[in-house]
Amino acid sequence: MIVRAIALLGHKDHGKSTLIGSMLMQTGSATQVRINEAAAYSKKLHKSFEPAFILDSFSEEREQEMTYDTTRAQIKYKDLAFSLIDVPGHEELIKNMISGASYGELAILLVSAKKDEGIMNQTKRHLFVARMLGIDKLVVAVNKMDSVGYDENRFESIKSELSEFIDRIGFEGKNVIFVPISAYNGENLVNRSTRMGWYRGDTLADSVYNTFRTPTSNIGSGALRIIVQGIIDQNNNIIAGKVISGILKKGEAILLLPNRETATVKEIIVKGKKVNSAGVGENAAMIIDSDTKGELRGAVISGLKDSPEITDSVTARIFVTNTISNNSYIKFNGVDVKCLEIKVLDGIDTTTGKKTGRKTAEPLNAIDARVTFGKKLPVENYNVTKELGRFVLYSNNVFAGIGMITKIRQCI
Amino acid sequence: MIKQELDVLEERSIYIIREAKMKFKNIAALWSMGKDSTAMLALTRKAFLGTVPFPVIHIDNGIDFPETYKFRQDLAKEWNLDLIVADSKIKPDIVGSACCGKNKPETLKKVMNEHGFDALIVSIRRDEHGIRAKERYMSPRDENFTWDYKNQPAELWDDYSSNMDKKGHIRVHPLLDWNEIDIWNYVRQEGIPVNPLYFSRDGHRYRSLGCTHCTVPLKSDAKSVDDIIKELETTADEERSGRSMDKEREYVMQRLRSLGYM
Repeated sequence: MIVRAIALLGHKDHGKSTLIGSMLMQTGSATQVRINEAAAYSKKLHKSFEPAFILDSFSEEREQEMTYDTTRAQIKYKDLAFSLIDVPGHEELIKNMISGASYGELAILLVSAKKDEGIMNQTKRHLFVARMLGIDKLVVAVNKMDSVGYDENRFESIKSELSEFIDRIGFEGKNVIFVPISAYNGENLVNRSTRMGWYRGDTLADSVYNTFRTPTSNIGSGALRIIVQGIIDQNNNIIAGKVISGILKKGEAILLLPNRETATVKEIIVKGKKVNSAGVGENAAMIIDSDTKGELRGAVISGLKDSPEITDSVTARIFVTNTISNNSYIKFNGVDVKCLEIKVLDGIDTTTGKKTGRKTAEPLNAIDARVTFGKKLPVENYNVTKELGRFVLYSNNVFAGIGMITKIRQCI
Repeated sequence: MIKQELDVLEERSIYIIREAKMKFKNIAALWSMGKDSTAMLALTRKAFLGTVPFPVIHIDNGIDFPETYKFRQDLAKEWNLDLIVADSKIKPDIVGSACCGKNKPETLKKVMNEHGFDALIVSIRRDEHGIRAKERYMSPRDENFTWDYKNQPAELWDDYSSNMDKKGHIRVHPLLDWNEIDIWNYVRQEGIPVNPLYFSRDGHRYRSLGCTHCTVPLKSDAKSVDDIIKELETTADEERSGRSMDKEREYVMQRLRSLGYM
């Protein structure tokens, strides 16, 4: 069964874990033992049954009624399976939110309709991060509709207020669906709610299902790209790498980057078997006729033509999670690369999506920056080959952000 | 129970196992002779052209089943495994979770220190337990094996943590995404040898294997891998329902894992 990954987003207490718990119950995907266990702890904490406890497994999470760290749960729906990725909503746990959301193909954003809740800064920030992570399809679940008497006007006002922001940060209107729900009461999740007759659209489950069933156009150039993991045999001649784009063919000439060495592929082995070619997603083992002295881990293989740029300077959009100091490095295709300079060109407020004009890196906001690396790397723009256009930033050995390359400065 | 696509799971696991070998200087894997850690070794053989290029550790408290010891001996020979048997003799006063919570982790600490291992492959799966579902693919443990679950490293795309405590080690979890039924489908597809205790004898079989003291068999007529897969497609029971330590007390799994349990 094909499993599609969905990231849950939204401000704390707007109902992410509760939604997943209810979906598990309604689709019969939680075992009775898990349900009984969640029920026993709900009772112990003097609460009515809390579906979120099926996900929130740490004692601290249950007692403090918050999600500390990301987790996943699978549900079956029609002929698909969904892997629902729960993430924490608290600002200080953004590192865990990014870790979870980075695996999502689609996002469900939770916005509470409750009075005094509604669209919060963290609601918008999560959306901003998701878009940066490459998620381009969105279902907005307007939650806690029970607390506003299932009022259509409240739903419509949240929809119009959020639509402008969603549009500004680069989601296409046709890829965004709004659904009014009550996660706790299970309204409009899997079964149509009888309390919101004014809503004519699909349930949450069907909205997600139909989005996945709509074919997407493939991005990327289709040119050969392999990220090399390293040498895997004792005789030092078999290279392992993952094909991220194109097709690797036996007998063809390739280029090893960043050193620009040419070589010929003599043998390809996938999952222990000799094959004539390897495609996207496959972990290939290769014998090549090269006696390269260059470092292989983190190297990139391409064809002789149409190869990535080699540069030590790029412009990138960086979502900042911590203070950026002079002591910074990026993680890029398995290797740590020192940053000589991170020059902020402009700040972006992640709660408005607008440039601030301030040339400072502020945690929880984004920057456009010129980044100079300590060595030359094979890179591409994020929107061409995402694996060669993204990096994780560490500053003083602390996770400080994620970056997407928007512009490559040619080396002379 | 959701059946996932084996090709996808297999590629991800191969990537993670290779990544662990490339990234760390001196790695080892835990092998309990159960279906999961044996499937992990089969995946390792695929990743490394038919070899397992690191030692495999059995934490042996001396009270595993005879079938388990026989299975260990046979497969270690067939797959040419570099087997380390870490003696963890159980004492009469240690029962239940005190064994898994203290005795076994203490032995593991000893063997890790003796050999200077900096990473350990452990074949846990997200669907086994809510606490295991909170794990990363690569997760740091400090010198005392403590899991700092309130401050886990960022882990995104294919980039896994390397910021470890110099005296600690990294737990590597290549099977995190697999479901129980996926393991059995993979065992069937690849013809991976399994411990005979998984098959029904006198109307009972073991679904999850611990040692003789804390594992009880469940009612089952499943006598083959095919039967087991059929059984899993319909059962509502939990995999670890025959493991006593999971239910002794509240949050026992959380406590055990934070103390270094595998």
